[in-house]
Amino acid sequence: MIATSMTVTLDELCQYEQIETSMIVEIVEYGIAEPLKGESVSDWVFDSTSTHWIKKAVRISNDLDMDWVAVAMVIDLLKEKEALENENRRYKHQLRRFIDAEYKSQP
Amino acid sequence: MEFKDYYKILGVSSDADAKEIKAAYRKLARKYHPDVNPEEGAEDKFKEVAEAYEVLKDQQKRAEFDELRQYAGKGYQNFEPPPDWQGGHQGAGRSTHFEGDFSDFFNSIFGGQSGGFSRTHSEQGFRGQDVEIELPVFLEEMVQQKERSIEYQIPVREGGQVRHIPKHLKVKIPKGTSDGERIRLKGQGAPGAGKAEAGDLYLHIRLVPHPLFDVNGHNLVLTLPLAPWEAALGCKVTVPTLEGKISLTIPENTQAGRKFRIKGKGLPGKGVIGDLFAVAKIVMPEDIDEESRDLLRKLSEKSGFDPRQEWRKTS
Repeated sequence: MIATSMTVTLDELCQYEQIETSMIVEIVEYGIAEPLKGESVSDWVFDSTSTHWIKKAVRISNDLDMDWVAVAMVIDLLKEKEALENENRRYKHQLRRFIDAEYKSQP
Repeated sequence: MEFKDYYKILGVSSDADAKEIKAAYRKLARKYHPDVNPEEGAEDKFKEVAEAYEVLKDQQKRAEFDELRQYAGKGYQNFEPPPDWQGGHQGAGRSTHFEGDFSDFFNSIFGGQSGGFSRTHSEQGFRGQDVEIELPVFLEEMVQQKERSIEYQIPVREGGQVRHIPKHLKVKIPKGTSDGERIRLKGQGAPGAGKAEAGDLYLHIRLVPHPLFDVNGHNLVLTLPLAPWEAALGCKVTVPTLEGKISLTIPENTQAGRKFRIKGKGLPGKGVIGDLFAVAKIVMPEDIDEESRDLLRKLSEKSGFDPRQEWRKTS
């Protein structure tokens, strides 16, 4: 059995992604991710979903040479897209329980 | 080995200036970046574009490449660098996050001894890649906390080549996990090089559609089929939940779409338990026998109900 964990610490994140603390502070300031807990920056802990977005943000910022305002906008839109796709899938599924999938035309 | 024409990849002429090259790269990178473009093949395309830019943005590398391009002439298919080729004076910088994925062609001309893989530091080698996989999970597994086995592939580097090997794990989905959430399994990603740590595995939880229940956050939604007369007169129904059955009283005059909340019969969340919502759906029988038809006819004659009253107001 492998232990699962829902969180990543700031130190781990910096080490794994080879980024500076200041970069994460910036990411948090722009609202791309929010620490789960931690009074001071060095105590910050992120959940796995935040970690996912932080990594994406770092990649986009590096590879596309974009400033943080633009990265934050991209991430916001990606999050919104993911949420809408999920919602859409859910509604479609629910709708199928109420109406016929196929439209039957009147003779 | 195939000769890669980096100019062609970026769609610029061989006398393009640095500005043009940068603009072409930015445009293509934005289009194909795998974080933005989920289409299949986008990542490979991005890597190709990033590799081309890696070479053409650097004056020295570009000059070396131009030299080779001339040498290759039209023989792009089976290209070999000249035997006395001494490229790779500076190794590759860390420009993109897709480390170690430069082509054989790139490595053979710019890799030198260091190769494309070893650009990230130190004698201890570097940490293995994180791996993210989608994990379809049944609703029952979220509630019962059963152990389950997962299979996935991890990229392993051998002699400059990336190979995917299968891996096997047993996990328990933590209580309170919701659809779309990501779970981290430390050290279960790709192995690190040398003494370095292995990467992590991230499980992206995807709920498998359930035949009865839909999920909305921590709440469950159940469609509750009622006969027209059950909806009209009220009734008692037995409702399935994830854990056994319960009895529900349907009041008279229940409209289609009305929601009945059954507290605490949803999914367990972090510190909260969701509810189960039963949504009424009025269902007509497939066949109506003569006796029922007579009863309905009587009702139709006696009832003054106009279900299309709304239409009259507007037309």
